[in-house]
Amino acid sequence: MRDKLLFGRCIDTGSPIHRLDPRAKITGMILYLIAIIAVGSWPMLLVTVVFSIVYMLATRIPLKYFVKAAKPLWVLMVFIFVVQSLTVESGEVVLQIGGWALYAGGLKSGFIAAARMALLVSFTAILTFTTTPGLLNQGLDGVLKPLQKIGIKTQRLTLMMSIALRFIPTILDETHKILKAQAARGADIKELPWKEKGKLLLSLLVPVTVSAFRRAEELVLSMESRGYIVGAPRSEYHLLTWQTKDTWFVLSYVLLVAVVLTYRFI
Amino acid sequence: MKDTVLAYELQQVSFAYHPQQQILDNINLRITAGSWVTLVGANGSGKSTLAKLLGGLLAANAGKIYVEGTEMNQESITHLRPRIGMVFQNPDNQFIGATVEEDIAFGLEGRCLPRDEMVERVKRYADKLEIGHLLSKHPAELSGGQKQRVAVAATLAMEPGIVIFDEASSMLDEKARGELQLIMREMSESGGYTIISITHDAEEILASDRAIVLKDGGVAADVSPLELFRNQELLSSCRLIAPFRVRLIQELSSRGIELDPGQDIEEVSEQLCRYISSK
Repeated sequence: MRDKLLFGRCIDTGSPIHRLDPRAKITGMILYLIAIIAVGSWPMLLVTVVFSIVYMLATRIPLKYFVKAAKPLWVLMVFIFVVQSLTVESGEVVLQIGGWALYAGGLKSGFIAAARMALLVSFTAILTFTTTPGLLNQGLDGVLKPLQKIGIKTQRLTLMMSIALRFIPTILDETHKILKAQAARGADIKELPWKEKGKLLLSLLVPVTVSAFRRAEELVLSMESRGYIVGAPRSEYHLLTWQTKDTWFVLSYVLLVAVVLTYRFI
Repeated sequence: MKDTVLAYELQQVSFAYHPQQQILDNINLRITAGSWVTLVGANGSGKSTLAKLLGGLLAANAGKIYVEGTEMNQESITHLRPRIGMVFQNPDNQFIGATVEEDIAFGLEGRCLPRDEMVERVKRYADKLEIGHLLSKHPAELSGGQKQRVAVAATLAMEPGIVIFDEASSMLDEKARGELQLIMREMSESGGYTIISITHDAEEILASDRAIVLKDGGVAADVSPLELFRNQELLSSCRLIAPFRVRLIQELSSRGIELDPGQDIEEVSEQLCRYISSK
């Protein structure tokens, strides 16, 4: 199961994007999110697609990996497309059945919304594909640092996120083992009807949750035995240094946001 | 001089999770610095609880624990903890970092060591444990034995004087178990570590200097490993079976052939060959 999981996995190709400061990449992703929300027309969708593909190619990671990253959400994308297409009533009528009509504006907005979702998921995968979890953790800590001024313990937040990322494959593996054990006793999830599938997944919740708590307890002991004290000062194994290339990287995103917002509002 | 230095001294230590359920009762122990001690006993005899008390992860309800002469308490634990390393049973659940090198560095970051020193220690201990080629690997990409090596490297990188192995080999396969035992043997022979291992593995017990048998929350025996394996009553109370070479030399001894158990079966067979040639 973990072999199919791309989330949180760094694919090291040694590209220039891999060598960027994680804080620059996180800032870029936040700006990209703003740009993607503002995209509402064909030309701007095209600009964003070209921008995204250029950066994806720059990572030297095969494009199929980015497509794979978005694949688990295809049902949601189809859902967004259908809902948008059926609810937006603008432009010419493309299809009319009785009192119900499908509009060109609805189709356009459905397509753009689904494309935005696909782009967002696959493009943000750049961040995890090109950054090791440890660096990602430190980058996040750097980006969130200003929040310390209002009393938010950012180090705890980033540690929690890093442990969550670290344990996703382990817990998925465990779920897989329980599913196999249930299949060995005749309850194979692949062959069950949908209702039974739902019941089986529900029965997975208890053992997986219990095991997650047990793991958490043992992890705490391990952390304590290695001298971890909540809130105590720590040095950093990865030292982050902001360089000119990081500034250019962020500026390219600022430019994208500026172009998209200008086109949208002017 | 070495024999007089104590790593641990326990005076009338008792512990209970609930008042009506006493786990450890009036334990008195002295553990010499640089020795290798195994804690053995049936499941539920209090071995792991005692390990947690020794590691400072639990506080005793009664009695005193001295670590290298300093009493362990709320005030001293922060200073004593760097002296004590712990390796736990499940290699998966003690992997904190997202990669091998980050996991080894985790404890060092807590000590606020400068980066250069952290990098040097991570490399040194990864090479020592033969995991230098795995530094950038995610835990999901490692075998159980490799993960346990990472846990040992992460512990040793903190340069503790005492290392507690809490059933560290119980989830490993035969090969990985042998490798871990070899690491423990090397650590013991280096003289730089006091090793306390909680185990059901007969070979591991035999490799140690001393076996402390726990039963019903108390110390039932404090003997040498060979004495333990010669005492059927103790063995059955710990649900242990003597290793093959010990059973072999006992059998030969009953027929008038005296051999030393040595370090492994090869040593015993060599002695046996020499005995046969001399006859």
